[in-house]
Amino acid sequence: MTLELQEAAILEDLLFVFMGYEGQYIRFREEYNPSSQIDRLTGAQLKVLPGLDPSLRDMTDEILKMATYYMAVEAFVEVQSREEFGAVNHALCAAIRKLLKDYLILIAQLEHQFITNPKFTLHILHLHIQPTAKVMSVLHALAHEMLVRNQLLGNEEDEESLDDFDDVENILESLREGGDIGSGRSKICKGGSVLGLLTHQLTSRAGDPAARNLLSMLLRESSRPYMAMLNEWLHHGGIRDPHAEFLVKEQKSIGRARLEEDYTDEYWEKRYTIRDGDVPPQLEGVKEKVLLAGKYLNVVRECGGVDVSKKIQDVPKTFDDARFLENVNSAYAHANESLLKLLLTTHALPERLRSLKHYFFLDRSDFFTYFLDLGQSELRKAARDVNVSKLQSLLELALRQPGSVAASDPFKEDVKVTMNDITLNKWLMRVVNVSGLVDEGSGVFMDEAKTSTTSEKDKDNYIGYHALEFDYMVPFPLSLVISRKTILRYQLLFRYLLQLRFLEMRLGSAWQGQNAVYPWKARSRYPQVESAKRRTYTLRARMLVFIQQLMYFCTSEVIEPNWEKMQRRLEKVTTVDELMQDHVDFLDTCLKECMLTNAKLLKLHAKLTQTCEYYSGFTPDLTRYLGQMDPELLRPKERPPGAIADMSRLKKMTDHLNVYEGHFSRHLKILLESLNYYAATETVVFLELCARLQTAWGEGEGGGEVFFFKAGVVVYPEQIA
Amino acid sequence: MPREIITIQAGQCGNSVGSQFWQQLCQEHGINQDGNLEDFATEGGDRKDVFFYQSDDTRYIPRAILLDLEPRVIHGIQTGPYRNIYNPENFHVPREGGGAGNIWAAGYAAGDSVYEEVMEMLDREADGSDSLEGFMLLHSIAGGTGSGLGSFLLEKLNDRFPKKLIQTYSVFPDTQSVGDVVVQPYNSLLSMRRLTENADSVVVLDNGALTRIAADRLHVQNPSFAQTNQLVSTIMSAATTTLRYPGYMHNDLVGIIASLIPTPKCHFLMTSYTPFTGDIVDQGKTVRKTTVLDVMRRLLQPKNRMVQTNTTKKSCYISILNIIQGEADPSEVHKSLLRIRERRLATFIPWGPASIQVALTKKSPHMPMSHRVSGLMLANHTSIATLFKRIVLQYDRLRKRNAFLDQYKKEPAFADGLGEFDEAKAVVTDLIAEYEAAEDAGYLNPQGPGAAGEGGGVPQ
Repeated sequence: MTLELQEAAILEDLLFVFMGYEGQYIRFREEYNPSSQIDRLTGAQLKVLPGLDPSLRDMTDEILKMATYYMAVEAFVEVQSREEFGAVNHALCAAIRKLLKDYLILIAQLEHQFITNPKFTLHILHLHIQPTAKVMSVLHALAHEMLVRNQLLGNEEDEESLDDFDDVENILESLREGGDIGSGRSKICKGGSVLGLLTHQLTSRAGDPAARNLLSMLLRESSRPYMAMLNEWLHHGGIRDPHAEFLVKEQKSIGRARLEEDYTDEYWEKRYTIRDGDVPPQLEGVKEKVLLAGKYLNVVRECGGVDVSKKIQDVPKTFDDARFLENVNSAYAHANESLLKLLLTTHALPERLRSLKHYFFLDRSDFFTYFLDLGQSELRKAARDVNVSKLQSLLELALRQPGSVAASDPFKEDVKVTMNDITLNKWLMRVVNVSGLVDEGSGVFMDEAKTSTTSEKDKDNYIGYHALEFDYMVPFPLSLVISRKTILRYQLLFRYLLQLRFLEMRLGSAWQGQNAVYPWKARSRYPQVESAKRRTYTLRARMLVFIQQLMYFCTSEVIEPNWEKMQRRLEKVTTVDELMQDHVDFLDTCLKECMLTNAKLLKLHAKLTQTCEYYSGFTPDLTRYLGQMDPELLRPKERPPGAIADMSRLKKMTDHLNVYEGHFSRHLKILLESLNYYAATETVVFLELCARLQTAWGEGEGGGEVFFFKAGVVVYPEQIA
Repeated sequence: MPREIITIQAGQCGNSVGSQFWQQLCQEHGINQDGNLEDFATEGGDRKDVFFYQSDDTRYIPRAILLDLEPRVIHGIQTGPYRNIYNPENFHVPREGGGAGNIWAAGYAAGDSVYEEVMEMLDREADGSDSLEGFMLLHSIAGGTGSGLGSFLLEKLNDRFPKKLIQTYSVFPDTQSVGDVVVQPYNSLLSMRRLTENADSVVVLDNGALTRIAADRLHVQNPSFAQTNQLVSTIMSAATTTLRYPGYMHNDLVGIIASLIPTPKCHFLMTSYTPFTGDIVDQGKTVRKTTVLDVMRRLLQPKNRMVQTNTTKKSCYISILNIIQGEADPSEVHKSLLRIRERRLATFIPWGPASIQVALTKKSPHMPMSHRVSGLMLANHTSIATLFKRIVLQYDRLRKRNAFLDQYKKEPAFADGLGEFDEAKAVVTDLIAEYEAAEDAGYLNPQGPGAAGEGGGVPQ
């Protein structure tokens, strides 16, 4: 054949091949199997039968690439339009189809030229198809990468990608970026990943204006369904995501119902999560905001069915809209505002917090004093024998008293009496030892602590006063802020205050016992006896001062100022997470400043309180000793006939006193020193505590002043002239 | 209605102070002259039931018992503006109404005749309380009824309610000038014995100091009884704010006085209050600056104490409780305490805790005050012994001359001679000795170290 004939034949063949069919001289290669999906997706490998003039052959080979791309892209569109590939892929395919249609129109025009224009040569054809070839090559590259992700190219992938080094690069790159090739292999590339891939292509082809335009168009088109989902989520809190493409994952099994019985943070933390691998790069920076915005709207909707979704007419429909971020931010702000309004106004969070303060910090403790009076007989029993329901009804009785703070508190029904099996100190020690602070895992500590075995004797000594604790039912959605974790912190502080209060009460009744009862009142002839009495009084006074100063510090200098601080923050708070954080911070600060987070201080404190407790229970013994020591101290009618003064008792009494005095003074001294140390190193507020507890020490013993002025210098240097 | 306190007012002084006190409480709690709550006071936030109970028609009735042996003051109350708030069954005035004639013994002897009736009132009030904490006795110790009948009641209360606290607000006569009652040293001494033996805590209000403070602070030459009574009722209302406006602490009487009174005998407390302004006392002078430090410093100044004492170098505080009302910042309190210690504005006993406590309380929302902070100090100070010394001295002078004893000998308490006087003097002397011993570092080991076993009370 002549060159002209050859050219005409090959042109005709090419037009066939462009449509995806074999021509007369241009055939599929033998390896190519049209019925194999993998082969089709890779694109048909074509060969030109031998005999073609070399001048035509090179150009033909060049032109054939477009045909291969076309066939591959067509196969790709066919595959990716399947149901499971999700809405984003569908939108992408739709866009590609449009391009394919343009392509076919071009072929039809070429054919027309071929038939009517005698001057139509291979060169002209080549010239005409240039732009479209470019489009096809970009599409093919995109399709290829997507298919690699989707693993549709099977095991040949490695071999295939060898030709196309770019792809390997891309995969490696996405590996490095933390993109999940691993999960990409096992699951379908859809939703956010598709958008991510497009974006990536877009950036990597930034220097190619034609490809850039094309890819931007594709990205714009394919982001439409995603944006629809995003807007639905941002503005209505809903998820319409049948193909699991959206960046927020909803766990329907975690519902509100479970929240009521055990209001852990599960609902909040786990119901909606981010699909980390599938976040489109455009949203990467604001994904937390996106998640929270929808989450808040959901909460608002679930509580009372108020529809707070903002009616928005003009929302950006695609990713490249300039208002894209603005949209997210405004939705976030709106969601925060609505949830805050719901929490603060409708669900009266400030009142709730105040109510918690009444019950757990006892800021107006009159009702509690009364409750302790009523429950005396029950609370004196060993903790395991305490009748909790009886205490509960006594509490209700105390709360109903007119004039008590609780009488006007609408939430008083939510307070429940419970008994904790573990001593406060043991619990705190565990918490401190494990994490340094009450942490996310506090539930774990609780369980762990509960399994610990206590000796029988300890159990007998562990009485109702030690075990008493309040629980507080928090309804949804307030339980998001006042979660179990925060309730636990409240309980720890409560038990600590209760312990101090209990000791104050015990020392108070010891005071009464040593005040009004006869052997104490009467004056003994023996100066040693009087001296022993004075020592008894003084030690008790020291202890009482210690306890009261500690209580004053914890309440007036720790809880109250921090509470005020939180209240002020509460007024200014703009996001719900900030609110939750403020609340937890408040509690943690209180715990820390009340010495509850430091193992050493806890140990010392436990020793001191224990000494105080034993000593306060020691009064009846002392009273008896006094009677035996000097029977003249007893009332005449109580005096056993013929009793004489027994000074051996005095020895016993002073021995006991020496032990108690020794214990108390030693530990108090160490506590003061440690507080001073920690004040300098970590918790400044301990200086104030140190100065307060100093008073339990008294003035006469020199050492006290040293601590004191040290403290003074550090806190208020301007005062030391 | 936990931790109720029943108030007993005995004698002219007790009743006039008492009526002033109730008027003050009513104003602070927004209770009108009929005992009904004012419309603006329904908000709550205060505990009225410590001192009041509610009748069937929800009026607030004071838990008060008003006793006198002559009708003048009580009659005044019964016709006064607040006559309707009291329970009419709780008045006791004998029909003949001769009074005790300023003779302790007469008042004491009258006790027997009123005993049944008064105990009936007390039992009724006690039964009306859920967990009665104690009694508050208002009286003076110079006259006849307050001192004599008061002493009698103190003894009986102790027997009848051994587990209840007894706090008294006792008005002491001016021991530095001649009083209107010549036998007041006798009366005082005899009452002192009961206050020492039968009361848990005595708030000493020295008429001499009250008059001086009224004169100094309020620029009045001869302050009227009404004005000094107003001082007293201000102090009483301030001392009970922590009970009536409960906070974290000090919401029962034990909590307040247990740390103030480390050793049982030394239970005589003195008070200071600042600032007195026109809001509280008529014609009060405005004190410009009321910071916490300023208030706490003023409270420590001897001239503001409601007791005239002679302080020596050795005299010291056993304990202090400052009740600060108003907008006090805890950090201000802390700074003030530091300053007080730095400047050594208060010396404490050398052998025990330096117990200086502060209670922060709210002010009544219904009583507008021109100043930010006001403060009351309840203090246990050893110099109070000098007041007792003066009483003993005056008694000795009178007794040496055997003056005015006839009136006493007539009464049953002295039927067997004047032993009662000697016993009372022994008790008071003993009390003075206790206070003086408390000034000494060796208080815990009076016989020197080693005598009571080793170790001693001072931690090394």
